Amino acid sequence: MLTLVRRVSTALGLAGMIALLFRLRGRGGVPPQSGGWREVSEAELS
Amino acid sequence: MRLSLIGLGATGSHIARQLSQSSFDELCLHDEVPDTQLKVTKSVKAIARDGLTVTGSDSPSADGADVVVLACPAGSHASMAKTALDAGSHVISLSDDPGEVQSLFGLGDLALRQNRTLTVGAGFAPGLSCILASFVAGRLDHVDVINTYKTGTAGPACARQHHHALKNRGSEWIEGNWVMRSGGSGRDLAWFPDPIGAKDCYRAALADPYVLQRSFPDAARITARMAATRRDRLTSRLPMLRPPHQDGGPGAIRVEVRGRVGGSVKTIIAGAMDHPSVAAAAVAAEVAGMVGAGQAPPGAGGLSAWPDPKAMLTKLRRRGVRVALYRGVLDSDSIGEVV
Repeated sequence: MLTLVRRVSTALGLAGMIALLFRLRGRGGVPPQSGGWREVSEAELS
Repeated sequence: MRLSLIGLGATGSHIARQLSQSSFDELCLHDEVPDTQLKVTKSVKAIARDGLTVTGSDSPSADGADVVVLACPAGSHASMAKTALDAGSHVISLSDDPGEVQSLFGLGDLALRQNRTLTVGAGFAPGLSCILASFVAGRLDHVDVINTYKTGTAGPACARQHHHALKNRGSEWIEGNWVMRSGGSGRDLAWFPDPIGAKDCYRAALADPYVLQRSFPDAARITARMAATRRDRLTSRLPMLRPPHQDGGPGAIRVEVRGRVGGSVKTIIAGAMDHPSVAAAAVAAEVAGMVGAGQAPPGAGGLSAWPDPKAMLTKLRRRGVRVALYRGVLDSDSIGEVV
């Protein structure tokens, strides 16, 4: 039982540390600022 | 020239209004609900151009009609189309039921023998989706993959068909074979034109692949998906738990075509946002006008087989149906093309 608790707490601790690392060190970057939908004009259809 | 319109639901009544300014001489309207038929006939008469006779018909018979438009719920289109073709009428079907679409294509020989046009899928999807696929394919040397997506429904009959489609297996054309896939599987997040935005789309029993495959038999993959929520998927195997909306719009379609130009591979994405009932009606009315004017090829075919999709989109634009191309972020100068 004690072994299980120790393993679970180790796994949770490791997951937390990795998440913290990503949160502090991660660079999300800038979402795309261009692109998207553009209506087709009548000139393009002729 | 006489046109017979059978089915005056959300889409059918919009078709009738769109045809009120058409060049037909007579418009004969029928719906199985007498009150609906009376109301729609009265409202169309009020706005009809001078010289257009609008009448109500108590039976769905297309006797004497040059063009018959079938906008009634899916299920009876094939038998009605056969009767109309036998009587020498051109037929336009808005059915989106895959089994029925296959039955309609089975009437191709009869249509050719009669030298009449049988248009299969002249609505939103199939219909506008097929015109978009043809338009986009025109920018490529060879088409490899076509994926269509749709969201929204027209009237109650369309909503029931939508519900029915999600629980049934749909067909995908993969490397020269039809492969059956479970409805509600294969989640794919698709971005539709604004303001619809992103929707989770799933496989379903949809008719688009059957129509598109006839126009693009060399394509390696043709698939269709429709948007659904978790609740839609959970309740798809149950009867509809509440009555469907009178109009399930706004909706949208997205058509992704991947192919080759020269030595490079390109994906071009086109879409449209509109109320499905309104857009489907615009497509059907435009097709009816072209069929009546003898501008449609004889035999059975979908709109992806019709020549000059640009001309068709121009005419639809004048009816208020606007289409858009997706401009990719990687190649912002090349509008609508993602390398």
